[in-house]
Amino acid sequence: MRCRRPILAALGCALATFAWAAPSDPGSVSPKRDLVIWGVSIGADSKGQSAVIREFEKRNPDVRVRILSMGAGQMDPQKLMTSIVGNVAPDVINQDRFTIADWASRGAFRSLDDLIERDKGKDPLTPNVSDYYEAPWKEAMYDGKVYAIPTAADNRILYWNRKIFREQADVLKAAGLDPTRAPRTWTEILAYSKALTIRNSDGSLKRAGFIPNFGNSWLYLYSFQNNADFMTADGKKCTLCTPESEEALNFMKAGYELLGGYENAKSYESGFLGKENDAFITGKVAMKIDGDWILNDLSRYAPQLDLGASPPPVPDDRYNKVGRFKDEKDTFITWFGGYSLAVPRGARNVEDGWEYIKFATSTEGRMIEYSAQRDWERRRGRTFIPRMLASRDANEESYRRFKPADKKFAAALAMHIEMAPFGKVRPATFVGQTLWSEHVKAMEAALYGKASSRDALVAGQMAVQRELDAFYSKSNYPVIDLAIPTYIAVGVLVIALVIGGIWFSRLKLGRLAKNEAMWAYLFVAPWVIGFVVLTLGPMIASLFFSFTQYDVLNEARWVGLRNYQEMFTSDRTTVLKAFSNAAYLAIVGVPLGLATGLAVAMLLNVSTKGMRFYRTLFYMPAIVPVVASAVLWTWVLTPDPSKGLINSFWKETLTAWLAVPPPTWLQSADWAKNALILQGLWGAGSGMLLWLAGLKGVSTTLYEASGLDGATPRQQFWNVTFPMLTPIVFFNSVMGFIGAMQEFDRQYVMKPSKDGPIGPDDALLTPVYHLFRNGFAFFKMGYASSLAWLIFVVIMVLTFTQFRLQDRWVHYETDK
Amino acid sequence: MITPQFLFAIGTLLAWIGWGLALSAVAKLARYFGGDPRIDRPTELRRAFISAGLGGFALIASSQTNLLTPTKATGVWRFPLTWFVMPFTAWLMAIAVVMIAVRSVQSFLAITPEERKEKLQTLFGWVIVIGIAGTLYFTDPTSKIEVLTGGIELAPATGAGLLFLAVAAVAGMTLAAQATRSREMARGLMSQLMLLVGSFVFGIPFVFALVTSFKEDQDMVSPSGGIVWIPRVQQTLPYLDKKTPLYAADFNGKAVQATVLDRNADGTVTVDIFKPLSIRGTTFQTDPAKLKEIPRDAPIVTAQLNSQEVTGFVTEELEDGRRRVEITEPASMKGQVQVFEPAQVQAVRKAGLRWQNYEDTFSYLPPETNNGLVYLKNTLILVIFSVIGTILSSAIVAYAFSRMSFPGKEALFKLLLSTMMLPAAVTLLPQFLIFRGLGWIDTLFPLWVPAFFGSAFNIFLLRQFFKNIPMELEDASKIDGCSYIRTFWDIMLPQIKPALAVIAIWTFMGAWNNFMGPLIYINSPENMPLSYALQLFQGERSGEPGLLMAFSVMTMMPVLLLFFFAQRYFIEGVTLSGLGGR
Repeated sequence: MRCRRPILAALGCALATFAWAAPSDPGSVSPKRDLVIWGVSIGADSKGQSAVIREFEKRNPDVRVRILSMGAGQMDPQKLMTSIVGNVAPDVINQDRFTIADWASRGAFRSLDDLIERDKGKDPLTPNVSDYYEAPWKEAMYDGKVYAIPTAADNRILYWNRKIFREQADVLKAAGLDPTRAPRTWTEILAYSKALTIRNSDGSLKRAGFIPNFGNSWLYLYSFQNNADFMTADGKKCTLCTPESEEALNFMKAGYELLGGYENAKSYESGFLGKENDAFITGKVAMKIDGDWILNDLSRYAPQLDLGASPPPVPDDRYNKVGRFKDEKDTFITWFGGYSLAVPRGARNVEDGWEYIKFATSTEGRMIEYSAQRDWERRRGRTFIPRMLASRDANEESYRRFKPADKKFAAALAMHIEMAPFGKVRPATFVGQTLWSEHVKAMEAALYGKASSRDALVAGQMAVQRELDAFYSKSNYPVIDLAIPTYIAVGVLVIALVIGGIWFSRLKLGRLAKNEAMWAYLFVAPWVIGFVVLTLGPMIASLFFSFTQYDVLNEARWVGLRNYQEMFTSDRTTVLKAFSNAAYLAIVGVPLGLATGLAVAMLLNVSTKGMRFYRTLFYMPAIVPVVASAVLWTWVLTPDPSKGLINSFWKETLTAWLAVPPPTWLQSADWAKNALILQGLWGAGSGMLLWLAGLKGVSTTLYEASGLDGATPRQQFWNVTFPMLTPIVFFNSVMGFIGAMQEFDRQYVMKPSKDGPIGPDDALLTPVYHLFRNGFAFFKMGYASSLAWLIFVVIMVLTFTQFRLQDRWVHYETDK
Repeated sequence: MITPQFLFAIGTLLAWIGWGLALSAVAKLARYFGGDPRIDRPTELRRAFISAGLGGFALIASSQTNLLTPTKATGVWRFPLTWFVMPFTAWLMAIAVVMIAVRSVQSFLAITPEERKEKLQTLFGWVIVIGIAGTLYFTDPTSKIEVLTGGIELAPATGAGLLFLAVAAVAGMTLAAQATRSREMARGLMSQLMLLVGSFVFGIPFVFALVTSFKEDQDMVSPSGGIVWIPRVQQTLPYLDKKTPLYAADFNGKAVQATVLDRNADGTVTVDIFKPLSIRGTTFQTDPAKLKEIPRDAPIVTAQLNSQEVTGFVTEELEDGRRRVEITEPASMKGQVQVFEPAQVQAVRKAGLRWQNYEDTFSYLPPETNNGLVYLKNTLILVIFSVIGTILSSAIVAYAFSRMSFPGKEALFKLLLSTMMLPAAVTLLPQFLIFRGLGWIDTLFPLWVPAFFGSAFNIFLLRQFFKNIPMELEDASKIDGCSYIRTFWDIMLPQIKPALAVIAIWTFMGAWNNFMGPLIYINSPENMPLSYALQLFQGERSGEPGLLMAFSVMTMMPVLLLFFFAQRYFIEGVTLSGLGGR
């Protein structure tokens, strides 16, 4: 061991010099003004975007544009919010439009009205309302003010593979369907899907006719088509659950049932690849509803594809203009999404940010972008198809200048433009983000069959309504000045110090003792200061905040016990879910982990050759950094048996022997937690060390004595070894439960979808994750604090009762 | 009367008995070699043989009864398998039913009234269990029992071979067991075998990650189903492309590979960067004299040409996907250029490692992170400061608590102990507000500064160590007139080095793993540590497992290396505290 130390030191030094030798950011001393833009990712292929930035820099020579990719490039709302709250906000943010109202309502974005007003008529680049489609422009407004300027505006149409339609003409005709055109109504598309779906002999899908939520439609599109509103006109009531939305959700459900259910379809989708092996290109899916962004890839990877583009099918009644739709003008309906550029509050360089926004959203700026992109694609021998824009003017210009030469792609683009006037947008409400995640949650719950469509939608609606009510009832609660409690705290601290000083000086201590005490106080000072500033103070603050409503950007309001009440009423299902998930992980996972550790320890307790090697190997998984392990296991647990390690074994054994199809692990609400437990077991080999220590600690005299009494090895295990080891079992079960409640990292990394529920049907949600989500993604400091105290109380109660119980059944050696 | 179902049930029962007997035979053999002096060894061996024989017979018989039910292939033995998938409550009921039966028989056979009473008591306990489990089971609408049936199919030859192997193994071991020395060896072999199986299970995810990080994209999914374990790489040939030559160039002091786009009027050329990937497609102007032509890597392929196999290399990929191939073999056709459809050419690939994945990973990282080194630097800053801070502060506080006397010591120490179980969640939000007030958002400070205020657990642990140091040492230094700081630093601290090493390692692991902290506090890539960067990289490149695994492997490497060199402290740490693996 001694000789290893120099090696270790050398290794550390090498690593350090290696890292520090890296010149970090060579240009940090430039005299130019920095303009920080987030949410724009510049990849190898985004030449248009960088052309716009270069042109902007050329026109404004004293500005340096800094695009932060990775981390800030991928817009995570939690990231943006912490930066705004922490006063390190970017100057321009490229933000998904439907969330603008949300951010604006919290005062996180700056209104652009004054800037527009100032520059109107002076600067030709100033955005002009009349150039834009109405829906996207309105989407970027909140409370009558403009908060962002829309850029792209993607809408969705039905894409269909004409070749499959031709090949299956007989089947389609037999079903009474016309193989030369796309379905126009919901009933039709289901009939087409049924006729075009093919299965393998084992029942899995070989081709899906139409997967309702593959591509990009969600429940929103179908609901819009069915004239569903998600909010009342005054924005005070959420109407997620309406008969119209329910019908739309039932339509999706019917679409999935044709394919053998949602989970089956999901596991089919998990085998899909990208680029030239895209499922639609390879004919694994015959029809899909998707946005215009797929056109570029289609033209690049499948120029020969016989592509059909039609309006997305609508409810039968709408198509036939009967019933509710008798007086409806528009037959087909689509849904607009897209981004916009905004200025966050606290941006340091608003002027340059605004200049950039004006330039980047202008028709001129868009055309610079498109021609640069076109040139780049052309050089690489690829076609370029312009994206849909929110500005009518720019759209027409781009179609004129950049229309693809291939007729079928031109027709598809024309279809997108034709549908643009019939585009609806998600309601511009400050609960947009919640509405979105609740809609996803409700949709998944209903499609997984966890709840009826109605119940799922009602649950979502309630969650959204809760937030609406909280917002509108805000003014009923008194504002409190946070400075006062701070002053009180400082005052109490000062008084405590003074009292402490007086107490100390009154003590009758000798000179030496006094000297020693002074030194000792100095020595314990780091911990005492840390305790007061980082533990005690925050704890009191947290208790205080749990009675308030506070989002950092606006003033705090005293709401009394409302947060706690909310926890046990409207948010009860989610809170319960979080705690029951933790309980599952602890009850199933901890004993399995202990058993694994014990098994390994029993094996290693016999002294064999290579003990050191085995010990290292079994211990190694526990050393792997959590995030690395989670990334690795996400790949190991891929549902597709030709990719995922576990499922490839599963298919060879369990499927082959018992015909049990492999589970979809993290993709499935029932298996997601088991996936976590499996990943945890991998690291459970480390527990063997504890067992080893325990086993070796069992004194040999006990074995000798029992051996003399004629006990068999089995009896010895249960009557001698096991009771001696119970402290370990006890300790781990307490720690396991407490640990499971506070788990976060694995769940964050392994959850399959980046937004919406944490894992399918919130299967991966833990109490601390719920706290994190409320605290740092929504900045509901008050509610998150009350959650923190709930967790605190549960942990304390658990610890206390368990320590009480241990006296009863845990065997401690008395002489220790 | 004999229905296929009945036969299948018989077969299943036989199979279950067979499996059970086979397992017990293995267990008996293990006990035979176990070296326990209290065991009657010849009897044990005889029993093992009987179990094995009966088990084998039952298994084979079960495979025969099953012949009546349709099997997938003929000439195959099919050992039936049946298993129930039922909720936990149903299992509990099943166990309770069995236990009740056992206990009632036992109580019936009991000799003394006390014994009978005891058995009846436990019986009653099981009845209660049935009641509770039953209520839970029948009130839960989702509970259902599924019966899975299937079978393991074995060709008779394979089955016989396996049987022969088993017999041979048992015979061999019996012979070996005649002598005590070789019995020891047999025993060692057995545990080695089991340990190897365990190592396989625990090691295979590592192997999978490593192999994946060296695979080409097309090996990620194998057409035949299984996992590709041996990575293969496309063979290439250096090729000086005359049509669109590749040049080595210099871009702001960085060596790049580029192609020429335009020749400008002023004599310069506009070039287009090809590599590194992070700036691919950037164009810049340069002096043609500074460009140096370098060969491209042209992929080697084989194809059928006039029903003859030819080998060549791809000189150009045409717009419509076709490949222009220059033939190298056979010699008669050398130099000939031919255009093929993509389906016609077969890539020539050999077993090898694709290091390109690692290179690509680096070049996909944002340029301001200098190939990811900035991440490593940030992680090291975190680790080093956290370790120094934790050790210094915890040791000095522990020293005061263990070796010095001062008024209020007991009360303070109780306070310290009570904070040990405190969940971090309670202080998470207010701490954020404090650090925000200090203007520390998007800096590394919130992640390492708290380490300088000691941690309750470490203080507690070190205090125990200080307490075990003999008083004489300290007294001697006091007599020498050393100050408290000198005593602490020169005399006491060296005494507890092993404990400090353990704490250093825990802190190291904690800081290296810290994910939630950076997630909350860090925004810009310049300040990101590795763990957070890896998560973001996963979000961005989720479709490219090769790169993902390469990044993961690089993130774990430093920690694993440390583990190999400082294993002793890791292991000591666990036994020291009983806080293993946490």
